[in-house]
Amino acid sequence: MAAIETERLSRRFKGGLTAVDAIDLSVEAGEVYGFLGPNGAGKTTTVRMLVTLLRPTGGRAMVAGHDVARDPDAVRRRIGVALQEAALDGLMTGRELVELQATLHGIAPSAVRTRGQDLLERVGLVEAQDRRVATYSGGMKRRLDLALALIHEPAVLFLDEPTTGLDPVSRMTLWEEVRRLKDRGTTVFLTTQYLEEADRLADRLGIISQGRIVAEGTPAALKAEIGHPHLELAFAGDAPDLDAAATVMAAFGPPEVLRELEKVRVPLPDGAASIAAVVRALDEKGLGVAALELVEPTLDDVFAAKTGRHLEGA
Amino acid sequence: MSTAVTALTASGRLRIVVALARRGLNEVLRVPGASIPGVLAPTIFLLGISSVFGAAAKLPGFTADDFKTFVVPVGMLQGAAFAGAATGVNLARDIERGWFDRLLLVPAPRLTLLAGLVSSGALRSLLPSVVVFAAGLALGVHFPGVLGTLLAFLLVMGLSTCLACYATTLALHFRTQQAAPLMQMGGFIAVLFTPAYAPADLLAGWMHAIAVVNPVTYVLQGVRQGFVGPVTWSGTWPALAAIAAMLVVLAALAARGMRQTGR
Repeated sequence: MAAIETERLSRRFKGGLTAVDAIDLSVEAGEVYGFLGPNGAGKTTTVRMLVTLLRPTGGRAMVAGHDVARDPDAVRRRIGVALQEAALDGLMTGRELVELQATLHGIAPSAVRTRGQDLLERVGLVEAQDRRVATYSGGMKRRLDLALALIHEPAVLFLDEPTTGLDPVSRMTLWEEVRRLKDRGTTVFLTTQYLEEADRLADRLGIISQGRIVAEGTPAALKAEIGHPHLELAFAGDAPDLDAAATVMAAFGPPEVLRELEKVRVPLPDGAASIAAVVRALDEKGLGVAALELVEPTLDDVFAAKTGRHLEGA
Repeated sequence: MSTAVTALTASGRLRIVVALARRGLNEVLRVPGASIPGVLAPTIFLLGISSVFGAAAKLPGFTADDFKTFVVPVGMLQGAAFAGAATGVNLARDIERGWFDRLLLVPAPRLTLLAGLVSSGALRSLLPSVVVFAAGLALGVHFPGVLGTLLAFLLVMGLSTCLACYATTLALHFRTQQAAPLMQMGGFIAVLFTPAYAPADLLAGWMHAIAVVNPVTYVLQGVRQGFVGPVTWSGTWPALAAIAAMLVVLAALAARGMRQTGR
């Protein structure tokens, strides 16, 4: 059974804006699913529907085996959620917040303290547990937010842009925790606008643009779908004969002359394995290679190919 | 790996109410400055109005010998109104900051969450009403007796709960702290349009007509019992009935607001 499944899930707001337009998703149990898209694409609206904070206006969504609209409490019992802004009460200490969250989730009083301590230890906040949250750094708040989301050991965890605004070290720490959760069998639904994050963490990706899913698959499959790696070569000498080089490289694939850059590009279906052959062929014709670069397709290329826009810097 | 979490038991719901009420009191306990306006306003109002209109007690038909004794219950109810409004303002702040989303993700009935939110308002109302009560006693106001005192604070907490429901409804509708004046105005008007500063028979005709249908009038008369005259059942039950009626209506509106959140 899929951990998350939607059928033509839609949300139309008053005023006519369709933020999510009939999307179909299927996330398997134990999978890390990356949900990628620029600001305003519909990521957060989708998550808010899946976690029962927003009622769908069309279609349906099942999370952990329960319909989000018909049985929201059953869904809430099985999900953990860390939303985009770590909404924490700055007047409370980390320990108080974790214990409050445990109480709110119906954890028995005898287990509240133990569970709280376990989680604070897991996210590295034991020493800071008696400080008010207002004094925490951004990374500490995110880790505390994650601890709150995990207090009832949810089967499905939703992380909405969990690393936005974090420094690289905090980001890596959070990535490690996501991997640990996956190892424990937790399904993770991760929205992000960071391509590297999606590439490194997600087993599969869905790309959303203007409320619609425009691509779905593993990062490798999505990248392979839009093309092969290609080799870019620069040549020795002040005025290299780019046309001659292109003629030689045509044996490996359709070459493209980049005159402004004084380079020639050729697709290499076999990737790095073909580089030596290309260089040898050029060398035989007296065309010395000064520099080369094997360029792999990126998720940004995938996004651009599917939507006509680039995600990075969006 | 996950732990199956079952539906909440009745004791689990009660623990949620207590936990949310405790959180609501954090502002009073940890940011004492935040409570000063709600405490000072009714106290200063009591002192000011007693000084200006103190001689009104000598008017024919005035039912108390001492004006201060007559208006101390009003100050206590004003404290309840401030505390009720503060509950709504704090909820609006929680909505703006995203904390309320965390609450909505809890697998508990919306009524349980509402009870937790508004019960903090009831507890908060004790701070200004105790200060007003103590200030009144220091000024020589007649002590209403143990029963009268307990009844007065019970009714203060009841009214504060009602007004917390009212303010919560507005917070859920407007979802911004900018609605705070509306939340505060409701309680202020409700207390004002009663026989607050003169017995009902001395009120102008239109004011008298409003006061008669205003349920807060009966709450005020209930609180006033020990201060002016004895505590009687005939003076108590209309106050309790008024609180119950307001609570049913206002809690239903707040519960509706909770259910409609996210639609």
